[in-house]
Amino acid sequence: MGKTVLVVDDSASVRQVVSIALKGAGYDVIQGSDGKDALKQLDGRRIHLIISDVNMPNMDGITFVSEAKKLPAYKFTPIIMLTTESQEDKKRQAQAAGAKAWVTKPFQPEQMLAAVSKLIAP
Amino acid sequence: MAELLWALGALAVGLGAGFAIGRRKPVAAPVEALPADNHLTSVTRLAGSLAPVWSAQIDSSRTQMESAIGQITERFAGIVENLDTVLSSSTGALDDGQGGTFDRSRARLGDVVGTLDDALATKRQTVAELHNLQTLNTELRQMSGEVSAIAAQTNLLALNASIEAARIGAAGAAFGVVADEVRQLAEHSLGTSERMAEKVGRAGTTITAILGHAEETAEREDRAVAGANAEVQAVLDDLQELVTGFRDSSSELERAAVGIRTEVSQSLTQLQFQDRVCQVLEHLRESVTRFADTVAEAGERARSDAPPIDPDEALRAISASYTMEEERRAHTSGSPADVRESEITFF
Repeated sequence: MGKTVLVVDDSASVRQVVSIALKGAGYDVIQGSDGKDALKQLDGRRIHLIISDVNMPNMDGITFVSEAKKLPAYKFTPIIMLTTESQEDKKRQAQAAGAKAWVTKPFQPEQMLAAVSKLIAP
Repeated sequence: MAELLWALGALAVGLGAGFAIGRRKPVAAPVEALPADNHLTSVTRLAGSLAPVWSAQIDSSRTQMESAIGQITERFAGIVENLDTVLSSSTGALDDGQGGTFDRSRARLGDVVGTLDDALATKRQTVAELHNLQTLNTELRQMSGEVSAIAAQTNLLALNASIEAARIGAAGAAFGVVADEVRQLAEHSLGTSERMAEKVGRAGTTITAILGHAEETAEREDRAVAGANAEVQAVLDDLQELVTGFRDSSSELERAAVGIRTEVSQSLTQLQFQDRVCQVLEHLRESVTRFADTVAEAGERARSDAPPIDPDEALRAISASYTMEEERRAHTSGSPADVRESEITFF
């Protein structure tokens, strides 16, 4: 059984692209359509890594990271921000909230997998 | 789509800036001069009416694209999953990770043939033992002949002894009795050895018959096992050829499936454009709404003799709402901007 990655993005196509790349590399994937939906997935189950968009409806990615880090079970879960956002202050906010990496879209699956494997082994 | 967006954007910005400045000369002279306030009211109404129309059309385009790309992505993802399933099952069908079904079957058939070979070896051993028994029987027959010869000589010796005892007279009477007894024993021995010879002869005949039958059976079984071995080997060779063919075609299918999976995955990667275009459209829709508000505000200011709105400030506000670098570059340059490659930053 592979390690589990939670992919959070309001774009279904981006979620699919990320999921296929991760599944092809042996990871198990669960998905959330925005920050609020993703928080529901953090119900105590083992999640080894989170990949989250920044700009999303209902709850944005940076708020989601802050909320996730408040949960003891996910305090040390590494988080990658995957976004079209290019503003430096947003990047700093993500870092301050507890994100471990910032990846800009559009991404190549190999780049994403390299970033993932740097934070967790497959 | 991109041309439409830029046309809309240019029209919106041009209209906004033109109105904000508010001092451009009309292209054609009005038929009847109207108060400036009427022009302002007219333009404000136009902007207020156009903004929701443009917003609706942008939203409609965005929704349609999002839905269509979402469905395409779902289909592609389904294709990738199906290919993964096919790849997984085709790999397991001929090679289950424990040497493969065919290899295991071949080993089991080899065991069966080996068992038959063992049985045949036991049979050969039995035949060899029967040959030994036949030799022993021949020796017994010779020994029986020797016993008969000894009995005959003993009989003759006893007869001579009886004659000698009779010739001596009364003094040899006791010796004559002994000689008679010996002669009777010799005759008895002769009878026994003759019966023994007969029994040994019959045993020899039986052994020869059994040996002949055993040899015949062994030869027949030898040929049967050799034939079975050859048949099994021929069947295994045929199966091996078949399995090799399956493996080759399976490998080709696997390579093709892997190639298709890679192509589909790369195509999916390209569909990320939908996320970016949707964001551009969303920002454009917000700009259109903001533009209508700005035009309305400009009209109010004109009527109340307030200072005019600052078009640069309005453009800065629009720019501040962008999230992507290429949006800002396009805004500044007035021409389409390329999308930059992904960057990764580790904190």
